Amino acid sequence: MSRWRGLFESRRFGELAPIPKFICYALLALWSIIVLFPLYWVLVTSFKEPVDVAYPPKFLPFIDFQPSLHAWHYIFVDLGNDTFRPYANSLIVASVSTLLAVLIGSMAAYALSRIEYKPKLGSIIGFILLLALAIVAVVHWQVDWRLAVIVAVVLFLLLLRAFGRYFRRHLGNGDILFWIISQRILPPVVAAIPIYVMFQKVGLLDTHLALIITYTTVNLPIVVWLMYDFFAAIPRDLEESAQLDGASRYRIFVGIVLPLAKPGLIAASLLVLILAWNEYLLALFLSTAKAQTIPLLVAAQNATRGPQWWYMSVLIIIMIAPVVVLTIILQKYIARGLLLGAVKG
Amino acid sequence: MTVVLDHISKSFGFLTVLHELSLSVQAGEFMVLLGPSGCGKTTALRMIAGLETVTSGRIAIDGRDVTDVAPKNRDIAMVFQSYALYPHMTVAENIAYPLVIRRGARADIDRQVRDVAAQVQLDPYLDRYPRQLSGGQRQRVALARAIIRRPAVFLMDEPLSNLDAKLRGHMRAELKHMQHALGITTIYVTHDQVEAMTLAHRVAVLNKGRPQQIDTPRQIYEDPANLFVAGFIGSPPMNFVDGALADGLFECAAGRLPTVVQSHQAKAVLGIRPEDCRLTAPGEAGSLRATIYSIELIGDHALLTCRIGGQSIAVKVEKDFSREIGAEIGIAAAPERTYLFDAASGQRLR
Repeated sequence: MSRWRGLFESRRFGELAPIPKFICYALLALWSIIVLFPLYWVLVTSFKEPVDVAYPPKFLPFIDFQPSLHAWHYIFVDLGNDTFRPYANSLIVASVSTLLAVLIGSMAAYALSRIEYKPKLGSIIGFILLLALAIVAVVHWQVDWRLAVIVAVVLFLLLLRAFGRYFRRHLGNGDILFWIISQRILPPVVAAIPIYVMFQKVGLLDTHLALIITYTTVNLPIVVWLMYDFFAAIPRDLEESAQLDGASRYRIFVGIVLPLAKPGLIAASLLVLILAWNEYLLALFLSTAKAQTIPLLVAAQNATRGPQWWYMSVLIIIMIAPVVVLTIILQKYIARGLLLGAVKG
Repeated sequence: MTVVLDHISKSFGFLTVLHELSLSVQAGEFMVLLGPSGCGKTTALRMIAGLETVTSGRIAIDGRDVTDVAPKNRDIAMVFQSYALYPHMTVAENIAYPLVIRRGARADIDRQVRDVAAQVQLDPYLDRYPRQLSGGQRQRVALARAIIRRPAVFLMDEPLSNLDAKLRGHMRAELKHMQHALGITTIYVTHDQVEAMTLAHRVAVLNKGRPQQIDTPRQIYEDPANLFVAGFIGSPPMNFVDGALADGLFECAAGRLPTVVQSHQAKAVLGIRPEDCRLTAPGEAGSLRATIYSIELIGDHALLTCRIGGQSIAVKVEKDFSREIGAEIGIAAAPERTYLFDAASGQRLR
């Protein structure tokens, strides 16, 4: 009887007994297969002739089918520039928007963790009303958008000057933080058409700038969300000590706070980069030919004759390769960054 | 460099944490702000540093009004309780930081870092990171970083509280020697009265945001101004017995003791230090009747805890004290060695 028990209960606290251990590893193996098999399949499919892609499935090169480089040749040589341009667009748009989002987002998170803001409710409502007025002016009365924006800003400043002192109620850091994070809760698809109209009005459709602005805006909340906890965990003592020694706020931020928040910065950067790199919906709306990104190119392989799996596989491989490599290089930072936000010692 | 605090107060909204503290620290003096947690001593220190704003009052360093001056322009250096060492910099870089910020010449900075490191015996550790150092070593790095600027004033916020007892004793001596050698005006915050007594030229005792007494350690020990100061200073603490005072005699349920205070007080508190208590036969005139509660051997002496009515009295006795627990004894003290306080206000009666 105790032999049977020994299979289910372990002797030491940190160890697993034989049967639970077996079940654990079996589940892990199963999960690994579920995750890794699609990658293997994509790799293998990129070397198949169209006829080999049809049912029944063929798994092993040289055994089930003869590998061929025709898909690779087509993508890199025949299409050439048509592959290279979307790839370059993806690189530019993803890296620039990540850089901007992390820079602005971490500064916002740092400010929210250190400074007490008290935005007046009256000012906020006034701002929103004037913005709405400007939009109505542009859409209904055909006012030039630049004029509308300038007039709205001037009116806002005058309003503040005249009535600022009567605004009593104010919000706090927690409200600002929640407002920023709530932006991400909104599904981008809801805002897709308004964003399209907005960029069309300012003539920025199918440009890198439109995508960079959109991605930065959409991913900024994630950076603020992640980095706020990191900055809040850095002891104020360090900054006060640097302050006493004569360092300016900027110097403290760049020289002391950022190096200590490095794991968080890297984790946030990678997360935002992946989101921007894979983004499909907004890129579909905002770009047609010149600013097309790689996800669009992959989806475009779904031609009228049916999905061209072999071409798609090649594109998928070159699309995920940089991200996989980057993740492997930065692996230790990600684990540290996502699991613990504390600075010890 | 002198530091003058002129009726400084600090309030956070409706909560006042410091009430009208006035203090004048002489050049080269070691001033200790002493008090229990929450008494406002750290707030006072941070106001001198400029890390907190002053609600009312003025602060002057060397005659210059610095109340509204930024911390970096006050010519002060501070050692924090947590040392505040930059974890991503080596010891040498940590020490050099104040000079690097002020854009000194590289060679000059390196020389000064090595000099200061030698002063605090950190030479072999210059290339290490803070996480590779022990508590005492980290504290010395914090000190070195404060010394290197040759500031007008040193501020220290409980720098020894994170060290173990033995190291604390060693570092106390080091700090005292260093302050004497450098002659820099130092303001030191602590809740440990032993540190205050051993390090200070003068001590300012604070309680609940109000200054209680500002005097030399000896005066505070031998001539406390009120009940709080009397009970806070001294280890083991002063004994207190409740009773009444009339015609130069302190009267309580356990007996009568002659005192030098002539006033009348219906409710008074008698204070005697454990080392001033004398044992007599129980019931003897001019003594208090007590029962032995416990005997602890300290080493070179023993500490006797006795019960008088509902109150405990500690008495220092010779190490081979041979009476039993539960025995009755008498406790007396010379009239000049007793202290009397008004039970209601806590003020000293003279």
